[in-house]
Amino acid sequence: MVNRFVIADPKLCIGCYTCEAGCVNVHTKAGLVAYPRLTVMHTKAGTMPLQCRQCDDAPCEKVCPVKAITFEDHAVQLNESLCIGCKMCALACPFGAITPYATQPNAMGLMGDTAQTIDWARTVSDQANMLPPEGAPRAENPAHPLLAWTSGERAVAVKCDLCHFLPEGPECIRVCPTKALRIVDEDALAASSAHKRETTLAGFLAANHDSPEGG
Amino acid sequence: MRLSVKDNQITEINPDPAHPVSEGELCLKGLYGFKHVADPGRLRTPLMNREGGFAPVSWDVALDSIVEQVNTIKRESGPDAIAVFSSARATNEENYIAQKFARAVIGTNNVDHCARLCHAPTTVGLTMTMGNGAMTNTIPELGEFSDVIFIIGSNTAECHPLIAKHVLKAKARGAKLIVADPRMTEMANKADLWLRVPLGNDIPLINGMLHVIIKEGLHKADFIREHATGFDDVVRAVEDYSPESVSVMTGIPAADIIAAGRAYATAKAAATLFAMGVTQFTCGTGNVVSVANLAIITGQIGRPGAGVCPLRGQGNVQGACDLGALPNVFPGGKHVTSEVDRARFEQAWGVALSPKPGLQITEIPDAILAGKVRALIIDGENPMMSDPNTMHFARALEKLDLLVVADLFLTETARRANIVLPAAGWGEKEGTFTNTERRVQRLRPAVVPPYEAKADWWIFKTLADRMGYRGMAYDSPKDIWDELRRVVPADYAGMTYSRLEQMPGLCWPCPSEDHPGTPILFVGGKFATPSGKAALKPVLFHPISVPEAQRKVFDEPIIGHIAERPDADYPFMLTTGRRVYHYHTGTMTRRAPLLEQIGPEELIELNPLDAKTLEVCEGDYIKVSTRRGGVVAKAWITERVPPRVVFSTFHFWEASSNEETNAENVDPLSGIPEYKISAAKVAKSSAAEARANVAAKAAYYLNSVERKVILQMQET
Repeated sequence: MVNRFVIADPKLCIGCYTCEAGCVNVHTKAGLVAYPRLTVMHTKAGTMPLQCRQCDDAPCEKVCPVKAITFEDHAVQLNESLCIGCKMCALACPFGAITPYATQPNAMGLMGDTAQTIDWARTVSDQANMLPPEGAPRAENPAHPLLAWTSGERAVAVKCDLCHFLPEGPECIRVCPTKALRIVDEDALAASSAHKRETTLAGFLAANHDSPEGG
Repeated sequence: MRLSVKDNQITEINPDPAHPVSEGELCLKGLYGFKHVADPGRLRTPLMNREGGFAPVSWDVALDSIVEQVNTIKRESGPDAIAVFSSARATNEENYIAQKFARAVIGTNNVDHCARLCHAPTTVGLTMTMGNGAMTNTIPELGEFSDVIFIIGSNTAECHPLIAKHVLKAKARGAKLIVADPRMTEMANKADLWLRVPLGNDIPLINGMLHVIIKEGLHKADFIREHATGFDDVVRAVEDYSPESVSVMTGIPAADIIAAGRAYATAKAAATLFAMGVTQFTCGTGNVVSVANLAIITGQIGRPGAGVCPLRGQGNVQGACDLGALPNVFPGGKHVTSEVDRARFEQAWGVALSPKPGLQITEIPDAILAGKVRALIIDGENPMMSDPNTMHFARALEKLDLLVVADLFLTETARRANIVLPAAGWGEKEGTFTNTERRVQRLRPAVVPPYEAKADWWIFKTLADRMGYRGMAYDSPKDIWDELRRVVPADYAGMTYSRLEQMPGLCWPCPSEDHPGTPILFVGGKFATPSGKAALKPVLFHPISVPEAQRKVFDEPIIGHIAERPDADYPFMLTTGRRVYHYHTGTMTRRAPLLEQIGPEELIELNPLDAKTLEVCEGDYIKVSTRRGGVVAKAWITERVPPRVVFSTFHFWEASSNEETNAENVDPLSGIPEYKISAAKVAKSSAAEARANVAAKAAYYLNSVERKVILQMQET
């Protein structure tokens, strides 16, 4: 049985980011890194979120030196506690679907219900924090953008986990207002392929109906 | 929407599957934009700005002080020295009481709200042509009936995601989508035909479409003869706008203009959707009238899925306009200059009313600087960030004798006030909202307002009581609503609270309790103008100036041009708008952690060709400045904007585009400023300059009072 994955229909996606916000929301509540596991991309050819394809022969799983990435329940799962933040998976991923995200000391505090305890003038300091802090040691001209680092921040790899902790399945699918996202599993693939074969055959037979070789 | 509440805090929002518009879906602002309600930064007590900063005071002290100062200013300089800004985020009941307070208690028509800055040309232009400045149809009709949807100047996917959903539904059914927009918005990207109209060139585009329609005989001659006036003038006006000449002027291929005209005119039901990309120009009214001309001439009005749909922004901007929070009209669109209308309200409110139209929001700063307006009462608006040319507006505020601001937070505007009042907000109040399709819906409180915050209606009522006015003996919003139903029976008499509670709202007009409401306006070509006929108007445009010879052919043509064109010093055009993840000046959405994480900072859209010339890479900081001000923010290099155009928003005080926008040139017919075009220059910047910029803006907007005040309030 092949792995399942979530994919969007660019004809329906309006680039509204509800999937990203929903993703952060449920993962934060589950105690996982507060970062979207899918990225809305706007291009001239169209707009849709991009996320892990849950490869059956996953390069990220191959390169992980600490076995933080494993195959579980027809998906590629990443254990954030085991991850050492080496970023090799992000480099190996052919889709750009893995992001190392640095958890800042106050990042968890900004999320969820604990927001109450944060000083309400926080937006001021946050905005200043968004810029690289002056003086903090950080990588100058990293060899690759993924390899940038700032002292004091611990990065772990973040990727789509199909919301395995939710009985109703991926939150992005649930909250998408235009229902542009869906899960593709073996059954869905089989149904789609069967439909395509039927269409192909119908066209072929119709075209060859009258020809002597066609029968 | 349904709110889940625990310990007087909203924990979750869920859509209502039975609602005809949302159909069980919400966008991210609807789902996650509620954390501001329980934010610890909510104002706790009234504050008075005394020497050395704000001091918490009791409601009695604050209100008595306002009454005393307003009375003094009124005695010394007359009632017109006082102005009130109402709010499109306040309920219908509160907008009604705000304008009644200005008119009946203070005695001035100086009451306006932010519709001046968004859909004022819609109100003026559609009233002029069709008699009514509102959406003619309902949103679900788009998905169900429209077979051509023409979106012009609306970033529907970002600004009205749930309406975009109905457009996609139509598309899935086979409807054709035509989008006219200078930016490659999501809807433009999904369109069957995208007309990349240059900024400000809507009039020539629509005149070009009308030229094709009339030349090819696709107009509805019978409908025009029976239900419209002024057709001959429009025929003459569009004569010069052949698709070829419009193509020369705008760069849109002539074949596309022809295809758009044909598709719109021959559709079984065509709907036009428009928003600020039509209105926020010095020829905003001309643009709206063009849209109306197109619909009337092709008979695309008054049927399911066929109509003119201005998409309104704030939760209750339609209601705020309907309820007379405008300087020239009473509730129900009755004119302050009309003796008959005035007499009716004088009788209802028991006082003599001023016959002089009041000042528009965009006229207020200059009136303050000229010493004509001395006191300003702002209920739930943040004009320091939402009004054009921030520095000019701030200079005006400084000259006021009295600035009162009622709000949830110590906003950029409230920090400059003499007296700040803590207001109750969405989720805490009783009342009604009117959505963009004229649907009046009940709003119920889910939580109790924090600390000493009070509903806006209570604030106005209590001020009125203390000023000696006896006509506001309301105990609840229901009392106000019932008065409104008596005063404007043609629109609201049939809308009792109990009826509104039993269904997902009713569309006005709804004159009696057995009336089902009016989802579609102008059925059978019956327009709401005094004559009952639609009034077509000739609209002319030239980027610099329409030649005199062309103008004088008509009695009263509407003329359009571009106020501030690019030149050698400012070679770019800056255009402004919104992003899906924030709401206006960010006072609420920037306090929602999820939204702030998705949209933490300003991104200025810059075309790849310009990025190459300026040697700017993705994520580099750029500085955009106009003759009025400048901001530094990150560049988003994208073909969404055409070359020589940059796009930015007013969500972030760190980089608010309204420091750059033009307040000087407004549409002469509606008073709206030209938010959509400013001549600008763009230069590569640096992280160091960006840091310095944030520090400078923090000093300018925040005055470092915020932290001090909250500490003071916590101590009391």
